[in-house]
Amino acid sequence: MPHPGWAAFSFDGIGTSWEISTPVTLDGSQRRRLLDVVEKYDAAWSRFRADSTVARAAREPGRFRMPDGAGALGRLYRSLYRLTEGAMTPLIGGSLEQLGYGPDYSLRPRGTPVPAPRWDDVLDWDDAVLTTTAPVVLDVGAAGKGQLADLLAAELRSQGAGEHFIDASGDLLNSGPVPVTVALEHPYDPGRAIGTMSLGAGALCASAANRRAWGDGLHHVLDGTTGSPVRTVVATWALAEDAMTADALATALFFVSGKALQQDFGFSWLTVFSDGSAAYSAGFEGVLFE
Amino acid sequence: MSFPVRKSVFVGIAGMSLIGTVAGCAPSAQAPAAQSAPSSSAPAAGTSSSAASGYKDGTYSADGNYVSPNGTETVGVELTLSGGTVSGVNITQHPSNPNTRKFQGEFAGGIAAQIVGKNLDELNVSKVAGSSLTSGGFNQAVEKIKSEAQ
Repeated sequence: MPHPGWAAFSFDGIGTSWEISTPVTLDGSQRRRLLDVVEKYDAAWSRFRADSTVARAAREPGRFRMPDGAGALGRLYRSLYRLTEGAMTPLIGGSLEQLGYGPDYSLRPRGTPVPAPRWDDVLDWDDAVLTTTAPVVLDVGAAGKGQLADLLAAELRSQGAGEHFIDASGDLLNSGPVPVTVALEHPYDPGRAIGTMSLGAGALCASAANRRAWGDGLHHVLDGTTGSPVRTVVATWALAEDAMTADALATALFFVSGKALQQDFGFSWLTVFSDGSAAYSAGFEGVLFE
Repeated sequence: MSFPVRKSVFVGIAGMSLIGTVAGCAPSAQAPAAQSAPSSSAPAAGTSSSAASGYKDGTYSADGNYVSPNGTETVGVELTLSGGTVSGVNITQHPSNPNTRKFQGEFAGGIAAQIVGKNLDELNVSKVAGSSLTSGGFNQAVEKIKSEAQ
């Protein structure tokens, strides 16, 4: 609980655990509407269920209308696709499946890594409408959890629950105004932290290669140009105004420096490299333990 | 630049037995730190090896090489075991690592030579920003693979 006396609403959604904290307990109707937001998002974007829109796109090319918010998601992905020179892509799903991270959760590679298809070869993402010229396995996991957190925050605001704290399994969104002290999880040891910081109004999202990892150095952060897991970065944190941006930038930090991303995005960042060293922007000054 | 790194790592190392397997390539500034005193957070000193795990208490070190997009990279990992559980993890820095130089060279802001871990239960926080919590099929699959591996 971020503050003493607050109430928590916990549930599972899009493959992870959520906890929404509010000063006053949410009633049944409020909870149902929040779960409806989750279900709507999952039904559109999950590549782990056969009836999703994304699953249809994996079976055959076509024109797919996605829910509101898809336009913002697409523009963010397109921007990061450009900045990472194709390494970060929503078309990474096939590469993940190749390494065993598909709906069957075999977690056994089918063979050598396969790069993602090039965006302009197969996909036209025009606002909320996606048009594909081939079957594609879309995976918006790099920003989807953050976007869902933003959508839940919007739903809470519409319910009059403007003050809230959303914990999407370690991706955090604080409505403010009261700051919350949070720890940054050690990339090699979830029982430890490498620093603490005060999170005011805004989102702090993390990405790490230590979880959703399986055998022989395989984990879920893949380079779209090679289809192989990224090796040089092990954990990242991004602090931004909204969770979708923070979530996406946390993944982008696996591919390009925070300094480069700062040219296009106003955000703070921390990157931990595989040798244990770390680099960070001014917003993370004094956060790391010494 | 100081290396305030080891104080958090060598907790509960009373039974240290395997230290030094990477001494030959470890930075000289860090190797002697193995003798630093255990921190106050150390589990009870002298904990004997765990019958359950079969692993002796101590600090275990290993190096790994792999080819990254930027060339061959060497990473050392040190695990401290106490009573059959991992009480500390850290990464050995290799100054010859081409990526270290590259990343440090291209960045002009804040840099930490090494991250330092503290136990979460020592910190007065209610929330953790990280990615340790996943649920559903993924974790089940990992557990299944582990059980099949036994």
